[in-house]
Amino acid sequence: MKILIAIKQAIALDEDFEIRADGRDIEEDFFLPDLNEWDEYSLEEAMLIKERHADTPVEVVCVTIAPDSADEALRKCLAKGADRAIRVWDESMEGSDPVAIARALAAVAKKEAPDLFFAGVQSSDHAHGATGIAVAGFLGWAHSAVVARLDYTPGAKEVALKRELEGGLSQELRLPCPAVLTIQLGINKPRYASLRGMKLAAAKPIETLAPGDIGLATNDCGESGSLARVRRMYVPEKQRAQILAGDVAAQAKALAAIIREATGS
Amino acid sequence: MSLDGGMMDPHAFTRILFQDFPSWEVSFFYLVGFAAIGSFIYGVYREVRKYLRGVPDARVIWDYAHIKQGIVAIATHRTLVRRDPYAGMAHRAIFYGFGVLFMGTSIITLEYDITSKLFGIHYWYGDFYLWFKLAMNIAGVSLVGGLIYMMVRRGWIKPPKLDYARPDRAPDAPDYDRSNYRIEDWLFLWILVIIGVSGFVLSGARMIWLADRPEVWDIRWWSPVGAFFAYGLRALGLDAEGAVILRQLIWWSHGALALTLISLIPYTKAKHIFTAIISLVVRDPLPAQRLPKVPEGQEQIGYRFLTDMSWKQLLHLDACTKCGRCHEACPARTTGGPLSPRDVILSLRELANSALQYSAVPEQSKLAMHGTGVGQVSSETLWACRTCMACVEICPVAVEHVPIIVQMRRALVEEGDMDPLLQKTLQTIHKSGNSFGESRRKRGGWAKGLPFPVKDARKEPVDVLWFVGDYASFDPRNQKVSQAFARLMHAAGIDFGILYDGESNAGNDIRRVGEEGLYEHLAESNISAMQSADFNRVVTTDPHSFNTIKNEYPDFGGQFEIEHYTSFVMKLIEEGRLTVKKQLGHRVTFHDPCHLGRFNKGYDAPRKLLEAIGCELVEMKRCKDNSFCCGAGGGRIWVPDPVGTEKPAQNRMREAASIEGLEVYVVSCPKDLTMFEDALKTTGYEGKFVVRELLEMLEEALEINLVEAEVTA
Repeated sequence: MKILIAIKQAIALDEDFEIRADGRDIEEDFFLPDLNEWDEYSLEEAMLIKERHADTPVEVVCVTIAPDSADEALRKCLAKGADRAIRVWDESMEGSDPVAIARALAAVAKKEAPDLFFAGVQSSDHAHGATGIAVAGFLGWAHSAVVARLDYTPGAKEVALKRELEGGLSQELRLPCPAVLTIQLGINKPRYASLRGMKLAAAKPIETLAPGDIGLATNDCGESGSLARVRRMYVPEKQRAQILAGDVAAQAKALAAIIREATGS
Repeated sequence: MSLDGGMMDPHAFTRILFQDFPSWEVSFFYLVGFAAIGSFIYGVYREVRKYLRGVPDARVIWDYAHIKQGIVAIATHRTLVRRDPYAGMAHRAIFYGFGVLFMGTSIITLEYDITSKLFGIHYWYGDFYLWFKLAMNIAGVSLVGGLIYMMVRRGWIKPPKLDYARPDRAPDAPDYDRSNYRIEDWLFLWILVIIGVSGFVLSGARMIWLADRPEVWDIRWWSPVGAFFAYGLRALGLDAEGAVILRQLIWWSHGALALTLISLIPYTKAKHIFTAIISLVVRDPLPAQRLPKVPEGQEQIGYRFLTDMSWKQLLHLDACTKCGRCHEACPARTTGGPLSPRDVILSLRELANSALQYSAVPEQSKLAMHGTGVGQVSSETLWACRTCMACVEICPVAVEHVPIIVQMRRALVEEGDMDPLLQKTLQTIHKSGNSFGESRRKRGGWAKGLPFPVKDARKEPVDVLWFVGDYASFDPRNQKVSQAFARLMHAAGIDFGILYDGESNAGNDIRRVGEEGLYEHLAESNISAMQSADFNRVVTTDPHSFNTIKNEYPDFGGQFEIEHYTSFVMKLIEEGRLTVKKQLGHRVTFHDPCHLGRFNKGYDAPRKLLEAIGCELVEMKRCKDNSFCCGAGGGRIWVPDPVGTEKPAQNRMREAASIEGLEVYVVSCPKDLTMFEDALKTTGYEGKFVVRELLEMLEEALEINLVEAEVTA
């Protein structure tokens, strides 16, 4: 029995940051990288399945499509108890959109043949919310998004789950395995990965693969394999608010001036 | 009276042992005696085997200095008289009484069974015998007197700390009931008291029995208490014939009880005679100040099983005499938390006695220290600790609770068993290097508000490197204090600088939480930042940073000369580099921060400073070594206290408020300022007195702001 988990090293930003010279991303100096928050929950869910059914061996495998700077996120997963970590990357994958990433994840899934594939509902930086479901699209597997409760016995042909709908509704369903599930925050309480645990995990190997190793052609990857590309990243202009001082007459005068300026009259 | 020049042969003045005993009785006595010694030896073997099931302890140093301090502590009873002088003095009376009586018995045995039989040497007669008798009488009075006080204390005075009720267990828990301990306490007292008193009765009965012999009766006043008993018994109608029977009865009960006591020593609380002595000798001079480093290459960290503890710690468990000093001092216990340091020790002792005292070590599940079962310590108990060291500091037998608690927490951290908020804080500190989750870049931001630039010690050499610390860097209230200290150093012409974003949280509290990996990371990062800067000495306003840099960084290769600002500023005033211009004249009290006071004995400098600026210092009852933790230590500043219970800082505010006419509650630690300003508001004493950082008072008294204004004007 195997669970494959898509992992992303998400980026938080330092308070004062700068846009990269080409205007398409943030300057890397201001990155505060960490494991995507949603992925903490999907890994925890896999670990719970593994630990609750100690009699059936469950292999938890983490995979990320990213350069080696993401190794730290994989190490955190290994520290929390994941059995293996896979990272797929080469330069041709630069500029991949969520669908290109999903294509690569699906290729790994085909190779690994897991019983369940978990991804976070979304990533805490780009928030596309597309990757997990796109993987299901490539694989043609049963899928469900925003899973808030999971009931699965290793080796079972089916998985029972509850998912969150909009408007405070819930939906319970059963899916045949293998299935792709995107996991919602709050489904469990993620465990703490101690720093010593992470240091010890540094000794565990991370399997690194190139797109070719999982049967991807160059035009499956990066910008050539993506339908979306980033044109510009920017901080939206701030809206202004102003308290007008003085008596009513002065306030009215000031207001009229603002209106005149805004309408250009 | 002396025998010199007396008419009788001095050899006549002695006590004939087993006088008039039939030989079978003598043989029977020896048989019982050997049985008692056998029981004692087996018991000692069993205890030693138990301790040796712990791991070796690299921090135990058997050298002259350590042994000497242990012996001095025992001889003076210095640790026992603290905060309970009468019990300490009573114990001293018992200790010396018992010791002298034991030596006396040994002297007799040596002559009777060894020197006289092997070499024909006798010495227990004549003058020596008379002085010996007197010494034994004094020792007996001392022993019985001390014991009687202890009985009065347990029976009538009943200090609350001797109540064994447990704050960490529900009354229906199987190990809630401590009545066995109470029975043992009383039995021990009674056995000793009866042994003492029966010795005097025996002496009196012998005098009546042999009253017609001058070598007995004429020297009766060398045994004054015995003589007193003789007169008393006579007055009650005892004649020589009755005395023979009484003597025989008492002789056997006295002997039987003494031998019973010897045989029971290793099995009962009496074992503290040995365990407490060794515990004091092997005490660690920095038990909580410098926590144990994880040895290279050791994968599992922290304590999970009893056998993870060191032999010394297993011995500590048995040294505890349940005196309750730690129970009384503990801020968690005082404010209703589920922790009593005494119960942590007793629980583990009970576990060790059920698991490690047999010929084989049981399976690991029986050795598990964490949990809610009998003899186990729950995670709630462990997380209630503020590592303030009040327990370790006051323990009269040098039990070191804090390292055991932190080691057990290390295991909890590895398993992620902690408050979610604490977990979040640890992640934040890992990510940003500070507990505020602020950008690293903003660490030196507070310095921008100053009229002069603060040097970047990474870029240019400075005389004094100021390690600022998290609270003093990021907390808005404490930033003001940091600015005050900067102005003060500037006014004194100190060449100083800070590390800006090269500095991270010093890690003191992270280590006390038990997140050792993160601590190692922070310590190594700070040490490398400090080592790449060029400076002569370090100063800090934060006692927490002060402690870990001073005591723990050396274990990671960081040797720095560091001072807390209190002693640093005191020297500047003494050297005349700063002058007090204004006497403040406030009525103040001073709160000793745990990490400055108890941890590092920095009691004097802040008091001298208060005196120098003309404040009238009124001490709180709990001051200096008995200072009461603000509740922030051991990472507890990041975990909210349960609602509905009094917080330690609030408890402290009530104590301060009882000082009549108090104007200022003076603190000298960033965390204290935060905790107490908050507690002042929540306890409703706002407006009655204020909480102020000593630095701000210094600035006022030194009129540094005015100096600054003149300079800029």
